[in-house]
Amino acid sequence: MKWLNALLGKRTRTAKDRAAKKELEEDGENFTDHRLDISEREAVAKSLSLTKSLRENLKMIREITGAPGDLTIREFKSGRGQVETVLLHLEGFVDNKLVENILRMLGLGSFQAPVGRGAGPNLLQEFRRRLLQSAETKEVATVDDLWNALTNGYSVILCHGSATGLACDTWGFKYRNIEEPSTESTIRGPRDGFIESFYTNVALLRKRIKTPNLWLEEFTLGSLSRTKVGILYIKGLASEELVQEVRQRVSRIKTAAILESGYIEDFIEDNPFSIFPLLFQTERPDRVTGCLLEGRVAVITDNTPFVLVAPMDFPMLLQAPDDYYEKIFIGSFLRLLRYFAFGISVFLPGIYVAVIIFHNELLQAQLLLRIAAAKEGVPFPVVAEVFLMEILFELLREAGIRLPRAIGPAISIVGALVLGDAAIRAGLVSPPVVIIVSLTAIASFTVPTFSFGIAARLLRFIFIFLGGAFGLFGIQFGGLLVLIYMSSVRSFGYPYLAPVAPRILQSFKDLAFRAWWWRMNTRPLLLGAREPVRQPRGQQPRPDIEEEEKEKTGKGRKNDH
Amino acid sequence: MTTEKIHNRQLVFMLFMIRSTVTIATLPVLTTGTAEQDAWLSAIVSLAATLLMILLIGGLAVKFPEETVFEYSRKLLGKTGGTIICFFFLWIFLNTAATEVRIYAELLKIGFLPHTPLIFLISSMVLLAAVAVGLGVEVIARTADALFFSYIFFIAASLLGALKGFDFINLQPVLSRGFGPVFSSALTPAALGNQNLVLGVLVPTLTTPRKAIPSAALAALLSGIVLILSTITVVGVLGPKIGSSSLFPFFLMTKAIEISRFVERIEALVVIAWGLGIFINFAVFLYCGARGVSQLAKIRDYRPLIGPMAVLWVILSVHTYDDFLDLVKFFQPRVFFPHSMITTVLPYLLLWAAYLIRHAGRGGKKYIRKRRIKPE
Repeated sequence: MKWLNALLGKRTRTAKDRAAKKELEEDGENFTDHRLDISEREAVAKSLSLTKSLRENLKMIREITGAPGDLTIREFKSGRGQVETVLLHLEGFVDNKLVENILRMLGLGSFQAPVGRGAGPNLLQEFRRRLLQSAETKEVATVDDLWNALTNGYSVILCHGSATGLACDTWGFKYRNIEEPSTESTIRGPRDGFIESFYTNVALLRKRIKTPNLWLEEFTLGSLSRTKVGILYIKGLASEELVQEVRQRVSRIKTAAILESGYIEDFIEDNPFSIFPLLFQTERPDRVTGCLLEGRVAVITDNTPFVLVAPMDFPMLLQAPDDYYEKIFIGSFLRLLRYFAFGISVFLPGIYVAVIIFHNELLQAQLLLRIAAAKEGVPFPVVAEVFLMEILFELLREAGIRLPRAIGPAISIVGALVLGDAAIRAGLVSPPVVIIVSLTAIASFTVPTFSFGIAARLLRFIFIFLGGAFGLFGIQFGGLLVLIYMSSVRSFGYPYLAPVAPRILQSFKDLAFRAWWWRMNTRPLLLGAREPVRQPRGQQPRPDIEEEEKEKTGKGRKNDH
Repeated sequence: MTTEKIHNRQLVFMLFMIRSTVTIATLPVLTTGTAEQDAWLSAIVSLAATLLMILLIGGLAVKFPEETVFEYSRKLLGKTGGTIICFFFLWIFLNTAATEVRIYAELLKIGFLPHTPLIFLISSMVLLAAVAVGLGVEVIARTADALFFSYIFFIAASLLGALKGFDFINLQPVLSRGFGPVFSSALTPAALGNQNLVLGVLVPTLTTPRKAIPSAALAALLSGIVLILSTITVVGVLGPKIGSSSLFPFFLMTKAIEISRFVERIEALVVIAWGLGIFINFAVFLYCGARGVSQLAKIRDYRPLIGPMAVLWVILSVHTYDDFLDLVKFFQPRVFFPHSMITTVLPYLLLWAAYLIRHAGRGGKKYIRKRRIKPE
């Protein structure tokens, strides 16, 4: 009971406490009681070592865990000595076939095989060496270890007389299938996406980068959630300082639970007040692979398909994976289009408001007349009009995400027809505003990174007000402010606006236009990047020299092959 | 204590924007003279004068690659003399910035925000500059990097767009009245070369201070070309008489742009594009001023000074000039040229004299090259 006294020592003792404690002592050895807070309970679990008595071990486990229904305990006798043995596992975490296999081997096999002369620890060792060679095993010594093993899909064998348990890997958690991520779909390119399983995600990446130099470092974060978090990088390509920085920032996290990579993002990003994402997040293994090959570091979190990449720069947000798979002209065109669309999605409503209020002369006379005629009879000022429609659109979008699938079409009818059409007919909103807002909406969906689209949406509202209050000057003011801010931000020490500001000309080959792959001889210049050369020069495809000579001499024709 | 470094390329961009924005926005400075259709020749003359000014200012800055002008002027001229000269420079930074922000605000006000109070326009531009300076010179440089090409694009577009109304008759006859008017017109833009004083503060932050002079010269050359081209275009489009009598000739020219029936009257866009460049201008001047004050007052960080200086700057720019005509008067060659000579060239001649007396006697140039001047 020493450990309990030590733990309870800090608490003020009242007579009631003392009475309760006495009761506990009379009741036999109890390890916890309901007065302990969560951190104390955790400490107890860590301090409880397994004992040689199986009965006591089971009692400890039951007391710590509250004997949940999903904790399956199978009791049997094993070995020639008929030693009391139990096998513990958690339902849902294990593959039942594997568990049955183990049970059969331990129960039947231990009679037949020449094992089981010893008892306790020797018996476990014999199990391990002779019967369970195929499974990954490890020893557990405390209740905490035991439980960690159970929640990682292990089955734990305890036998009487042994103060340690034997954990065998029987992982069989059912995940969803690997599917194409719905937020980042492409026309051309692989269709697989990350899922909620840590090692599946790692495997998806390792399948693409098979070098042994793809290193994975694992951390367990969250005192209660005990989430597995991994740092993945290519050793020798990623800068050591960068890896060290990521490692340090990740391992510094002290929190109760990590439910999603967003938690980690909040903890490790450079500037908490940035509305732009400072860590790149994606569900696509091919994008992460591309980043790793540029010398970046990926942070994989268990239980979420979103993987973080650091450092990130602004142009990455507007690059879609297809850009790299399609022919360069198509890829470059689409990329330019996306830059343009991003500009529209941020600035267009603001500029429209500014032009209508302050700079009518910018519009051609006929166009101006049209707009003025359409605005005739609309009771709101143009700022309010645009603002209302934008809010309406945001509502529709948010509702569209939250809605049960079945009601989706109904809402789109309500949104498009009832609200949009009726608002115009009732003369509440002018048609040009609806055009502007829908154009903005369409443009904002071209941004390949969802989190960045959100930032653009927030900015748009600010620009509507600036444009309404101060015209184009206000837009310029806001734009410069955003630009100053973005050039000051860094992501893991790497300037956010690079390679535009600071200008890194050799990275321009992969900015708005994409160069041919045989032209991308150098990797992007990250801070402290190693081995800038990706491939040898001069791999431009050209007709085979031998064949050329043949053609010249007329000895063979190209089409013969 | 400065660990912030800017690349020489960024210096080129910054200097280019500083020089070209103000000369474009205040193109009347060229035509306040009497050169009329020969204004483009004045632009060439002023380019040469600016290069001389860069040699004067940059030459000394390169000799002290780790110190700002505020530090070495006190070393060269003693504490009192140095401090007086530093105040001259501070005045230049503040006055030029105040004048330029006033010009831009007037332009906006006349152009499209007639009901907005001037002080509001001025303070919002100053606020932008203050934010950028607070984030550091690296941020200003990076912003310049980001803005440079869009700025070039806007200028080129507005010049090309105006070509439709271009008439060579307007540029003739060449040199009908000899070189006199050409030189008199070149006085003010040449004197505006005192903007290169920022070199004295920026050189120590460069990655390769040795190459400061070629960088600055490149910037002067580029902006000189822009100036020459825009002068030719403005005079060619508007004619020498209107070109010299209007307040904002360049602005007036862009009003004439009509690329098609759908794209016309884009002067608002042009002014906004200038705003991008002029913002760099303000930020650099505020940075230099704040660095200067902090070094004179021996304050380690210049950032706390930004707020007070920005307020002072707004007050100055509102109260120095009654109206725009007052501003134009300030740029008259007989006012502005002596002003610039006294506050920039004279102090620098003094500094050079002190430097040469101190170091030339002891073995001349070789000696200096071998052993950098040690702090005393």
